[in-house]
Amino acid sequence: MIIGRYVPGNSVIHRMDPRAKLLLVFFYVGIVFLANNGVTYAILTAFTLLLLFLSQVPFLFVLKGIKPVLWVVLFTFLLHVFMTKEGSVLYQIGPFAIYEGGIQQGIFISLRFLLFVLITTLLTLSTTPIEVTDAIESLFGPLKRFRIPVHELALMMSISLRFIPTLMDETEKIMKAQAARGVDFYGGPLGERMKAIVSLLVPLFIHSFKRAEELAIAMEARGYRGGEGRTKYRVLTWKGIDTVLLLAVAILAAALFLLRS
Amino acid sequence: MEEIAVSVENLFFQYPNQPNDAIRNVSFQIKKGEWVAIVGHNGSGKSTIAKLLMGLLKPKSGIIKVFDQLLNEETIWSIRKRMGIVFQNPDNQFVGTTVQDDIAFGLENNGVPREQMIERVKSAIQQVGMEEFLLREPHYLSGGQKQRVAIAGVIALQPDIIILDEATSMLDPRGRREVIGAIEKLKVKHHMTVISITHDLEEAMKADKMIVMNRGETMSEGTPQQIFSLGEKLEEIRLDLPFVIKIRNELKQAGLPLQLNDASLEGLVNELWTLYLNK
Ligand SMILES: Nc1ncnc2c1ncn2[C@@H]1O[C@H](COP(=O)(O)OP(=O)(O)O)[C@@H](O)[C@H]1O
Ligand SMILES: [Mg+2]
Repeated sequence: MIIGRYVPGNSVIHRMDPRAKLLLVFFYVGIVFLANNGVTYAILTAFTLLLLFLSQVPFLFVLKGIKPVLWVVLFTFLLHVFMTKEGSVLYQIGPFAIYEGGIQQGIFISLRFLLFVLITTLLTLSTTPIEVTDAIESLFGPLKRFRIPVHELALMMSISLRFIPTLMDETEKIMKAQAARGVDFYGGPLGERMKAIVSLLVPLFIHSFKRAEELAIAMEARGYRGGEGRTKYRVLTWKGIDTVLLLAVAILAAALFLLRS
Repeated sequence: MEEIAVSVENLFFQYPNQPNDAIRNVSFQIKKGEWVAIVGHNGSGKSTIAKLLMGLLKPKSGIIKVFDQLLNEETIWSIRKRMGIVFQNPDNQFVGTTVQDDIAFGLENNGVPREQMIERVKSAIQQVGMEEFLLREPHYLSGGQKQRVAIAGVIALQPDIIILDEATSMLDPRGRREVIGAIEKLKVKHHMTVISITHDLEEAMKADKMIVMNRGETMSEGTPQQIFSLGEKLEEIRLDLPFVIKIRNELKQAGLPLQLNDASLEGLVNELWTLYLNK
């Protein structure tokens, strides 16, 4: 989900420190739950749309991002419509009754869910995976004191990111090689299909282990010996705009707190 | 007296759970600024030697010295700073998510301050002629370009010795020329010591000295001319002689009194026409 969705750009949101973006999403997810009436939901929606607008990401990409979860949103809506029994009855179809409270609850909960997805989509569309990795390493840095291998985890993440296209290529090559030997990946009975998948996975795994070993040797040869005493080529810089946007979230939280019922 | 860059004495090595030693009683010396080619059939122990020199494997017995410093647990990291290695597979040594990140990787490991890193990355990338690819991801580079990035990663560390372990064997002819060209330039400019492991004898002809490996042992050592005059002996250990050398040997067998063992086509042509004139 996070990978390969970055839309290059130079907007305010793109230029934000990825740490600020992560924090923003984190706090946002926390305060979404404060909204519980029309006014608060309206404010929250307006704020989210403002961020989307600032990111200058084409709306089409945003739609693509939320498409997979639209069904879940719809399902959540229907579930609440039928399960909530509050307020006056609007419709009566046989044994089923739709209440006013149900409609309201359905809209609120599915809107909450939608906003959630929108803000995370915004993050992934405007931030490269490696920026996210750097941000995580920096934000979780203090955990090193509790012997949590933050640097190693971040390095693992960045190496995985670097090897995803390589492994995709390799998968394709092996599939072609096996297809040339008569393996059918797309048809045939289930048993045959499973066998086909195995014929793909086994070489893929063997190659990956060999890669991993060679990579480890190459890293050691280049002087890698853990995070201790390492300097960094890529740096994150916290700018004014980062503080401003986080303050905006704080104000949003205060507003929601005051206006909720 | 010339300075000795690498000295190996009576080196033995055995991989765990293997019946035989992969390296048996190997000794050689490499002078500073020399280009040495190590050749040998597949499995003759070339890569094992390279890894032993880098301290990536621990010898069973024997001595390795780099610029008079004995290689052991204590000196390993300081010695590694003086040596760089480029491996065979371009993909499996590319660590960074972009070209610049990869070149900086070794510098980061050695704690080089950031301002200095930026300078060194820039100069290293220029030396391999890849300036415009600084922000490129490895996925969008050819094999030869990736190997040049690997070389840039090595020279950014400003080592005295560079080891190429079949660094060109997975490349097409053009990629090969690019990589060899980059190394030749470096050698001239920085007086670097080059240890080039290859089974491409054409490439080995360029070296100052050749070491021939056979089944974990050094079979012979000498200038390319001396080595190529071994003729059949090389073919016996499954080495494919360069075209010019093959022709020269055939002509000799056909009775032509060829003297020199020059491996270049030009040398052969010169010798042939002088022979013809002297007739
Ligand atoms: N990791 C290993 N474990 C066990 N045996 C190995 C390993 N790597 C290489 N060998 C064996 O050691 C010998 C020398 O290998 P290597 O140095 O890779 O040869 P070369 O690089 O000349 O092709 C070969 O017989 C090979 O099978
Ligand atoms: Mg090898």
